[in-house]
Parts: sequence; structure tokens; C-alpha cells
Amino acid sequence: MTRGNTELVGEILLRHGISRRSFIKYCTAAASAMALPPGMGAVMAEQLRQAPRPSVVYLSFQECTGCLESLTRSFAPTIESLIFDVISLDYDDTLMAAAGEAAEAARTKAMHDNFGKYVLVVDGSVPTGAGGGYCTAGGRSSVDILREAAKGAAAIVCVGTCSAFGGIPFADPNPTDAWPVSAIVGDKPIINVSGCPPIPEVITGTLLQFVTTGKIPDLDEHRRPKSFFGTSIHDRCYRRPFYDQGKFAKSFDDEGARNGWCLFELGCKGPTTYNSCATIKWNGGTSFPIESGHPCLGCAEPNFWDKGSFYSPLSAPAWGKAGQSTPLEILEIAGAAAAAGAVLGVASAGVSRLRQHRSERPSGDEPMGEQ
Amino acid sequence: MDILGLARGPALKVALAVFCVGVAWRIVGFALLRIRFDLSKPRTSVMRYVSGGLLAIGTRSWPHRQFIGRTGPGEALGYSYHLGLFAVVLLFTPHIVFLGSLFGFTWPGLPSSIITVLSVLTLTLFLAVLFRRVTNRVMRMLSNFDDYFSWFITMLVLVTGLAATAHLGAPYETLLGVHILSFDVLLIWFPFGKLMHAFYIFPSRAINGAVLARKGAVS
Amino acid sequence: MSNPAGTFAANLAPAEAARTPDSRVAGAMRGFAQEVGALSAFRLESCIHCGICADACHFYIATEDPQYTPIWKVEPFKQAYKREASPFAPLFKLFGLKREVTADQLAQWQHLLFDSCNMCGRCSLICPMGIDVAALIGQARHAMFDAGLAPKELYEKAAHQHATGQPEASTEPYRDQLLAIGARFGVGIPLDQAEADIMLCVPRTDIEQYPSAVAALARVMQHLGVSCTFRSEGLVAENYGYFAGSKQWQRDISLRLIEQAIACKAKTLLIPECGQAYTALRWEAADLYGKPLPFAVRAVTEFLADELQAGRLKLGKAATGKTTFHDPCQLVRKGGVNDAPRALMKAMQIDLHELQDSGAFSYCCGGGGGVVDIARAAPLRYRSMQLKLHEIEATGAETFLTSCSDCRHTFDDAKTHLAWEKTPHSLLELVAANLLPTGTPSAAGNRP
Repeated sequence: MTRGNTELVGEILLRHGISRRSFIKYCTAAASAMALPPGMGAVMAEQLRQAPRPSVVYLSFQECTGCLESLTRSFAPTIESLIFDVISLDYDDTLMAAAGEAAEAARTKAMHDNFGKYVLVVDGSVPTGAGGGYCTAGGRSSVDILREAAKGAAAIVCVGTCSAFGGIPFADPNPTDAWPVSAIVGDKPIINVSGCPPIPEVITGTLLQFVTTGKIPDLDEHRRPKSFFGTSIHDRCYRRPFYDQGKFAKSFDDEGARNGWCLFELGCKGPTTYNSCATIKWNGGTSFPIESGHPCLGCAEPNFWDKGSFYSPLSAPAWGKAGQSTPLEILEIAGAAAAAGAVLGVASAGVSRLRQHRSERPSGDEPMGEQ
Repeated sequence: MDILGLARGPALKVALAVFCVGVAWRIVGFALLRIRFDLSKPRTSVMRYVSGGLLAIGTRSWPHRQFIGRTGPGEALGYSYHLGLFAVVLLFTPHIVFLGSLFGFTWPGLPSSIITVLSVLTLTLFLAVLFRRVTNRVMRMLSNFDDYFSWFITMLVLVTGLAATAHLGAPYETLLGVHILSFDVLLIWFPFGKLMHAFYIFPSRAINGAVLARKGAVS
Repeated sequence: MSNPAGTFAANLAPAEAARTPDSRVAGAMRGFAQEVGALSAFRLESCIHCGICADACHFYIATEDPQYTPIWKVEPFKQAYKREASPFAPLFKLFGLKREVTADQLAQWQHLLFDSCNMCGRCSLICPMGIDVAALIGQARHAMFDAGLAPKELYEKAAHQHATGQPEASTEPYRDQLLAIGARFGVGIPLDQAEADIMLCVPRTDIEQYPSAVAALARVMQHLGVSCTFRSEGLVAENYGYFAGSKQWQRDISLRLIEQAIACKAKTLLIPECGQAYTALRWEAADLYGKPLPFAVRAVTEFLADELQAGRLKLGKAATGKTTFHDPCQLVRKGGVNDAPRALMKAMQIDLHELQDSGAFSYCCGGGGGVVDIARAAPLRYRSMQLKLHEIEATGAETFLTSCSDCRHTFDDAKTHLAWEKTPHSLLELVAANLLPTGTPSAAGNRP
């Protein structure tokens, strides 16, 4: 995979027998997935044809490979076309044929040859506990590898919630002292493509957008491309009309669930989750969790694992062991507080009555009721 | 922790605790003052004045014919914003879910489009209520910090709620957080100000009704 | 008229004029804040500052002056309650959220608590929170008395009545005047009988101004042939201790009547046409006495209505023409004597045209609560009673009846000062004038 990257994309396409027309079609599809103007497809196609394939170094740290699994299921553009036609994936320890020192040598070479120009893709969080010993490759900790790789990167694309926001390793109690990439690297542009895993087309689309334009796209406050993370799942959800009509599934097997009503009461985090699940969907636009009857977990948001139960409605109080306060827990607090209040009340009434007692006049109060 | 997590987590917990402490403190604190029993001979039976008291809870919601000419518009305004508020608070599904997790049971809600319309109407009535309070000479004279702050905090909850559903000005979760946080502040303020009238109104009417019914008088 | 309370200097009896501000505040606090009970605390807690009570008050309606809003009349005591006795009193004090009530403030409120409140209780019917504002004003008056701030007229009359049994000295004692009235009207006055079923008393207003009403009472009782007596030691129905706000004097003055009623083994203490005496004796006396009274307390109006109902009283047709009736607040709104006067009028086939606001919703005559005795309150009183006078005019009635001497006196005073044309008549006198022997069929044909 350590091909030189002097060959232009256009030449490669020609070699593979891909016509200019079909390449423009492909780029237009990708552009529309990114909600770019229709004309952008042709521009992208033209630029790509003129460009040498950019080098990409893909590092995996404390992760589950789910993100990569997702990436390999990209339909538009497909991972094959991406890897073979658009980018030069110079290092990915899972996908590459080479292993051991050969693989590490490929990485070092790519980073050296393309210093300042390669795209660094990171998936997984970076554990810093135990001197970084929780996650190593070739005897080096992920922190070291990341710092070294970040130096020559044009930009870092964090794929998945772990590298973007820390994800599950970062969740309480965070035993490995894991951190997102942004906590380790402060001096490089970072694009977060969050999700657990991210939508494959969002990963490839973001890479494509960056390599074709060479620019960091518009990002939201969590450094996610606005083109994919600009609106909430709730706002684009096909079940939204049921929310507006006040029709809700109350359990997973009730009439409402069968009728496909809104899953808000079952804990859906759609209203607070920004991602393209409701529009691009999954598996080539087949479906997405809400469509298959399960509430959104909010996996594209920071700290999604620590925000209470997946099945606790968004507006419900959130404390207690299960992340969802049970009426009993609430009753305990309310009861204890009311008891404390009653004690204060008894005390204040006692003080007032003591003062009344001291004065000798008959009570000034007007009588009520029967003796 | 983000603002939503804070609002519906620790802040809500603290607010609920303060609310319960304050309400119990205030009610116990005056209810345990001296109670004197009336030694005069009642005109009516115990049944009559107990029922007179219970009746007054309902009848006092509607002004007597003799008063309606002077108080009608003001009372209509007062009661209608309360009704609007009740509808929005009790019939909006996210609120029902919230209350349901407090009480352990839920009830059917209204479509959110209707709730939005009701909220905007209630908001308008709220502004009218404030306008009346500052322009009516009697009300202005009687008003103090409690009246204005209680108005403000209730209004804030209403406005942030509307902003959250309309996604105005900030991401939904931030607005929702602010909305719940403002409700937390309302809960904390509740026992210390006039919002307590929610607890007082029915017993107070009942006592007045019973005292008058005991004498055989109209209440 | 926008007349801030401050423009009125306190109107004080010489005996109370010399007190220091500190002793006034201490007295007021002792009288109210420290002795506030659960019920009055609840009332003070419940106010939501809606101002609706203003719309029940004839002083506010007549002047549109916000200071006459009923609940505002107890403002210093609301303030004192919050600071001194409410559950959050420590917080109010600690953070200085409520200022201490000052002697000046109390002096200013004398005008609001005495001159411009009849304790008529109309505001207690309008309050959406169900606050009995009139009861709070009664308590505030107690505190004002303890602060030495009762108005001169009420203080002096109360002190005199407490000491002598009569609110004012008279050339002849009331006892002698009573007998003279009997002689003049040719009716027997049962006096100081050792035992009687019914003990009678008399409003001083009637002795001084309406002797015919005294005679009417005696005549009706004679006609009914019931065992009854006046008692020299307990003649006066009114209780100026109640007006002035002195719980102690009110108690002592009521005790005179209670003791006399017990002495003559009366089963009933009959209250003549005097609303304030009814409130003081029917509803408040037992509490001050400390135990239930060993006899019934009844207003003469309800007594007569019962006699009528029982067939012991027959009445002829009264030729009063178109007639209207003023409901005395203390008897009707606050006392529940609602149907009795109407039953009597019906029996006399009176063509009754009710006032626009009648029964429990009747406006006060403006004289109640001792206001008619306070000289400086007169201009405001005349102004506020216009409402009532207009309602009476609007009925087009030829005859105007009421069943309370104080109301009657207040209307007569309006006749003098406002050149008002109508004369208030006593319902009791009308009954006395239309008595039929029990054997004859009553005017209404059947019993009402």
C-alpha cells in the first residue's frame, strides 16, 4: 500500500477505466450527501482529477474497531473507491497487508515524505494512565504515537466519539485516564466525526470534502462539520409529526410502538443529538435506529454514556443509580427535606408561641371552629 | 457536566429539597401557632358549615353577581392566565414525562402545536397582567419585590420553554437546560414568596366559607 | 381625592396622648404580631396582592383612593407579622427584608383602621383567596388600642362605658329614662324582675334618639305575653370596647349583660335592633367569657320571625306603600339574620323593593364600626354613603326600613347633613304598630 502519490487522481481513474462522466456523477452524489450545492460535484471532480492523491495515516487507539467496520460499509463513496481512487491510505494497521516493523516503516515513510501535508485520521481515545501503557503499538504508547504523528499532519480527523469526545473509555470512572485527541493535541486543526460509530458516509464524505477543497469545513461548537451535524435527529425525524401531535409510544410493545409513534417517552435523545442518521441513514440508506423502533442513544454527543439512562426521557429528572431518578428516590429526598422543614416550622412556631406566652393579655386571635 | 445535565440533575435535586424544606417550614410554622376554638353557639349544624366550607372552595372562583361588574375583567384576566399556565404545564408531553417521573404515573397530553399556541396566548396574558399591576393604582401600591419576582421567574420559565421548542437562539439542549434551570430557580423561590398561594387558596377559601356558614351567613 | 394617610395627625384622647413612640410600637407588637394565631396568620399569609378587595369597599369605590383598599388597612401588621411572627421571621429580620413598624406609621394608619373602615365585612365576600379582611382589621384595632392609638371619641366612650355602664354621662340615668319612655308611650317596662325567660337590653341610641323604638320593643313583648325583663345593671346593648379595639373593655362590658342574664336565669338574651351588639354578644362574648354562654343570644328580628312562624305572632297589613329595606351588615352579612326581616315584611304584606345590593351584599350605611362617632371621619363618611343613598333613591320607595338603630341614626344624620329626603324607619316599630290579637287571621292570610 506504500505506493508513491505522485500519480494524479485523473490518471488513476483512466487506468481503471472510469469515465470522466461517471466520476462527476460520483462526486455529485458525495456532494449532495454533504449538502453542498449541486455544482460542487463537478468542481470536486475536476479538482480531484488534477490533484495528486493525498496521503492518509489512520491510527487506531483505545477503540473497538466499530468505526472502521462502519467506514468499510460506506456506499457513497465506497471505501474501495476512496482508497484506490481518491486517497492514498498509507497506514492503517487493521486494513494494511503489512504487519510489524514493515507496517511501522510504512507509517514513518509516509509521514516523512508528506510532512505537513498528510491527513491524520484517529479512531479511539488516548489513554494516559499507567504512563500510557494501556494502549501501545510497537512498544510505544498511543500518546507518543499521536504526538509524533500530529506534528506533520495538515489536519486531524477524529473518527468516532472516542477520539472526538473520549467516548466510552472516557466515561465514568475512566479507569485508563483516557482523553479525546483534542485534549492531547492543541496546535492542529481537528475535525470531529462523532458517532458510535459514525455514519460511514459521514466519514468518507468528510474526508472527501477535506481532500478536495483542502479546507477545514464549517464546524459546530464541538468541531463537527455542520454539513453533517447541523441539525438534530429530532428535527429531521420521520416520527416528528407524532411528537407534534402528542402521540407517543409508552413501551416497546404497545399500540403506539406498533404504530410507529414518537419514542420520546422511551428515552429518545433525538432532540439533543446532532447527526445525519435521520437523513443519510445506515446501510446505504436502509434504516436508522429510530426507524427500527429504538430510541436514539445520543451517541454522537459528548458524554453520551454518562447522561443517565438511555431509556429515561430527556425531560425527566436525572440522578440516582440508574441515571434515572425513580419516584422512590425522589420521595426519599422530598420526604427528608419536608421533615427538616417541619422541624424548622415547629421551631419557629415554638418561638412565636413562647413570646405570646410571655405577654399576659388574652390572645388577640379570633376563634375558629368548635372546641 | 453540561447545562442540561446540571439542570435536571444536581440543580433539580437541590431545588426540590429546598422546595420541600421551605413549604413544610412555612406551613408548619404558622399552622402550629395558637388555634382558638369558637365558643359561641353555631347557628347551623356541623354538617352545614363543613359543607359550606367545601362549597366555598368552588364558588369563590366565580365572583358574586354584585361584584362582577367591577371585578369581572380583572378576574377574567387573572384566571385565564392561570388556566393557560395549567394547560401548558400539565398537558405538554415532555412535562407529563417529567411529572410522571416525580409522581410515578402519567396522563394523556395535548398536541404540541396546540401547546405552542396556548403558550403564546399565556405569554400575552402574562404581559397584560404585568401591565395591569403597574398601571392599576391599587395593585401598584400593594405590590412588592415578591410580586414582581414571582411574575418574572414564572415568565422566564414560560419564555425559555417556548424558546426551547422553537429552537430560538441556542441549541435545543442548551435551551432545554436553561428552561429546566429556570424552573429549578422557581422551585427554590416558591416557598418564600406568593407562589405559595397554590397551597393556600383552597384551605383559605374553605375556612372563610365554614366560618360564615357557621353563622348561617352567605359566603 | 388623594389624601395620603400621613396628612391626618392622630386623633387621641388626652389619656393616651403622652405615650412615647417606643411604648406605642411595643404595645402594637404585643397586641398583634406576638399574639397572632394560626387563623389570622393564615389570612396574612394568603394575600396575593390582587387588590380585588378594593372593589368591595364603599370607601374605595366612592373615592377611588387606593389607600382605602381593605387589605392595605392592615399593611403595618402584615409587615409586623412577616418580621416578628411568621415562619420566616428569622430570615426577614436577618436580611432586613421587612422594616420595623414605626410609631409614625401606626399613627398614620389610625385614619385607615378607624375613620375609613366600618368592619362591614363586604371585602371578606369578594376576596378570591377567601381572606376575612374584616377579621384582620378587628385584630389590627386591638393592636392600635394597645399602642394608645384608638380615636379619641371611641376611647373616651369605651372608657366611660367600662367604668359606668353608660358610654356617656346623661342628665338622668338610662334606667330612669327607660321608665319615663314607658310612661310617655303608655307601655309597661318590665324592669329588674328577679327571674325572667328573656332578658332585654336597649341601644343607647334608642334611649336618646328613638324612644319610640324602646316602646315598640316593650309593646311587642307585652303583646306576646312572654316573661321578660330589663336589668338596671345591664341595660346598654352597644359595646364601645369593641369599637375602640379594647379586648379587655369589650369583655368587661359584655360581662355586665352576661352576669345580669345569669342572675335573672334568662334562657335568652334578646338583642334589640342593634347590629354591633349582636356581633359582640352573639359571636364574640362567649370567647371573651371563656366558656359557652348559659343562654341563647338572639336578635329581636329573628325572635319575632320565629314567633310568627310558630303562630304566636299575627301581623296586620302595614300601609307603607312602596318600601325598601337596608340590611344591617352585622346582622345580615356577618350575622346570618337574612330571612327574618323579610319574613316579617311579608307577613305585613309590604310591597318590598330590594336595593340593588341587598342581603349579604348590602353596602354599609357608613356609620358602622364606630365611624359615626368619629367627628373627623364625617366628610369621608358622607362621601362614601352616597352609594347607599343612590341605591335607595333608585328603588323609588316611599318608605325606607332598617333593623339597626345605628344604621337608622346614620341615615338620619345624612338627612340633616346632606339634605336627604328619606326618613329611616324601624322594622320593629312597624311590627309593634301592626300587631293583631293572636285569635284573628293574620294579614297574609296564612302563616308565612
